[in-house]
Amino acid sequence: MTPTGWFRSALIGLIAVTMLAAGAASAADTPRKGGILRVGNLGEPPSLDAHWTTASITETLTNHIYEGLYSLDSNKRPIPMLAQGYTVSRDGRTYTFKLRQGIKFHNGKEMTSEDVVASLNRWGKQSNYGKSLFAQVAELKALDKYTVEMKLKEKSAIVLISLAVPNNFGAIYPKEIAEKFPPETKVTEYIGTGPYKLAEWKPDQYIRMVRFDDYKSRNEKPNGYGGGKTAYLDEIRWVPVPEVATRVAQVETGELDFADDLNLDAYDRLKRNPNARPIISKPYYWLVAVFNKKEGLMTNQKLRQAWQAALDIEPIMKNVAGGKSEFYRMDSSLAPVEITAWHTKMAGLPWNEHNKDKARRLLKESGYQGEPIRFMTTQEYKWMYDFALLTKQQLEDVGFKIDLQVVDWATLVKRRNNSKEYDAFTTGMGAFYDPTHHIYLTSNWPGWTNDEDILSLQSELARETDPKRRTALWEKQTRQFYEKVPVIRYGDLFGLRAARTTVKGFDEGNERIRFYNVWLDK
Amino acid sequence: MTAYLVRRVLAIVPVMAVVVTVVFLLIHLIPGDPVSVMLGPDATPTQIQATRQALGLDRPLYEQLIRFYGRVLRGDLGQSYFLDRPVTTALLERAEPTLVLMLAALLIAVAIGVPSGIVAAAHRGSIWDRGLMLGSLLGVCIPGFWLSLNFIYLFAVRLGWLPAAGYASLLIDPVAALRYMVLPAVSLGFNQSALIARISRSCMLDVLQQDYIRTAQAKGLSERSVTYVHAFRNALVPVVTVIGVTTAVLIGGAVVTEIVFNIPGLGRLIISAILRRDYPVVQGVVLVTAAAYVLINLVVDVLYAFIDPRIHYD
Repeated sequence: MTPTGWFRSALIGLIAVTMLAAGAASAADTPRKGGILRVGNLGEPPSLDAHWTTASITETLTNHIYEGLYSLDSNKRPIPMLAQGYTVSRDGRTYTFKLRQGIKFHNGKEMTSEDVVASLNRWGKQSNYGKSLFAQVAELKALDKYTVEMKLKEKSAIVLISLAVPNNFGAIYPKEIAEKFPPETKVTEYIGTGPYKLAEWKPDQYIRMVRFDDYKSRNEKPNGYGGGKTAYLDEIRWVPVPEVATRVAQVETGELDFADDLNLDAYDRLKRNPNARPIISKPYYWLVAVFNKKEGLMTNQKLRQAWQAALDIEPIMKNVAGGKSEFYRMDSSLAPVEITAWHTKMAGLPWNEHNKDKARRLLKESGYQGEPIRFMTTQEYKWMYDFALLTKQQLEDVGFKIDLQVVDWATLVKRRNNSKEYDAFTTGMGAFYDPTHHIYLTSNWPGWTNDEDILSLQSELARETDPKRRTALWEKQTRQFYEKVPVIRYGDLFGLRAARTTVKGFDEGNERIRFYNVWLDK
Repeated sequence: MTAYLVRRVLAIVPVMAVVVTVVFLLIHLIPGDPVSVMLGPDATPTQIQATRQALGLDRPLYEQLIRFYGRVLRGDLGQSYFLDRPVTTALLERAEPTLVLMLAALLIAVAIGVPSGIVAAAHRGSIWDRGLMLGSLLGVCIPGFWLSLNFIYLFAVRLGWLPAAGYASLLIDPVAALRYMVLPAVSLGFNQSALIARISRSCMLDVLQQDYIRTAQAKGLSERSVTYVHAFRNALVPVVTVIGVTTAVLIGGAVVTEIVFNIPGLGRLIISAILRRDYPVVQGVVLVTAAAYVLINLVVDVLYAFIDPRIHYD
């Protein structure tokens, strides 16, 4: 073979190999139907009634079975889901929703306005978001088979976003189910309109969801939690695996295709595995110490300000994140970066000051006499215990006396409802999609923010519909937050999940996992 | 014997009554609330109160206790707050995994423990004795979760021989069931074998020093016959007691093993029930476990009479 001939053959060979590889890659990138996706999660949901609980595991599971009138796009803004769209009257007090037609429930019945009215009425009596919206609703009625009218007592800014939140959400059930189970009793018949339907629930073994063949997808492209949804998988099998090390091992061995809520120390091990990939989930939680403002020591604003001034947040976050900078973010905004509409960049806020002199001065001004401050935390969520422990050290350096009370989670969530039992407690704040949804700025959530200025701004935010004015109000509320210190905002902590490389189409931009539009390449 | 058995079975009733009452009071008196856990972290006190009323948890404790007694007498252990099913159904669903794990682990524990104890005693002071007792010391000392996680890492992740975790029913897929059961049964059985080995050894040593053994040896019986036929049967009574206790412990739920290997048994059920304050489930599991303890003790006592003809219950 001449040098030219050799070169030509080699070139043809190279092109052939490249084309084959490209073909293989594009085959892997082409969605295909079939397969069982096995997902390892932390445990059992307390219920599969989306209206009934705010538990995040219920949110994850139920969003595959049910849908609401609205959903959230990738920028966390409301987009229509079961609604075709809406019109609003000139005075802003009447919303008219047109429903999509031909949407089937898993029992074969068509969804109509009667189902929507019955479901939203139930949701409005039980869900936090539903209750705050329905406090403004004068009447909800079906105008015809596919039209629903919502009359408000006053102009409201929170109609669409409340209908779109994915947690404790306004899922549409068949009327018969919505009316059969009163709001305080959880639903035990699980019929929705979502792309997957519940096939079997064996507690502590698995929850099996299968493709709903009559699912009618929207025509748009997938977009955040909403848009077009395709159920490529034959089945999603949710397997509760309480031991986190076992979840990691099962992704490594291929017994699970996906695992959620992993310990951050598994990150390096998963990165080294050629068949699995770690996924950093953000936003996850911002860490928070919530003060009891109803009674006791922390009703004293100066004392709360002293706590805020004393903290050096970066070492705390670094420690909680296991020393890995990928897993935390220093940010003073009350909404995480991912919620673009409400993320703020404001200079001069007294956040992460680690100013010991200021803290000591504020302590003195508060009249604090070294009384023990009861700070409740739990080891069930290691990150809560870690940041509470480091906080105790930093606060005691400036003269606080912290009585760290370590209890189990069930005890903590009970005791935090009794204002006599604590001064502060740890928890995490997930993503809130509207300023009025920040529960720690309300008077009916543990910690009881009763400050009139804060509550009055919250009311204004609920009524104001002009986006620019709302943004200005939210910035004002953020400044107010750092002055009144109803809770302490630490940094953002991220979570870890893992997928086998055969899992394709997973949207990593969502806070919680969703498996519509996901397929298996195996 | 029959009269003895009737007496023992009747004695179960007051024991169970005490157990039921103590457990009811303990689980209700520790802090924590199932409703706060069920409704999620963002639930408001008003919502919590409404659900407490719906579940009857706002009633005085004595009233709840009386209702509980009434249900138990009718054979009804109540409804799980979280599992959407009666407690008896939840218990039945978890009986198979726990029983299979218990039997497999017990088999391994006895297969390792009893021969080790006998060999160690027969060769007292030898390298066999020291090696086997070191092994049993390790069995006592190594924490179950550490052993289990290392088994998973070695045999499932590194070597890929066995699945890391999970469970398959013996009745539906026996091969898969066996594959799933190897690692948990071996890790649990190894831990449990330690006590059996040590008790077997000390009992055998006691017996081997008795006169009738010396007589047997003087008669010229083989060492094997003396050890396994004459000595072993007489050393068996305490060994059976330990095996009985081990069985009862395993029925109560090999909690750590079930959690690490993700086996949906009673141990895992009671832990999640305690953490979530699912009162009816906690009471149900404890009731069943207590009954199992009492019955196993009865079986062990009856076995004594068969092993040692000198024991009579009349």
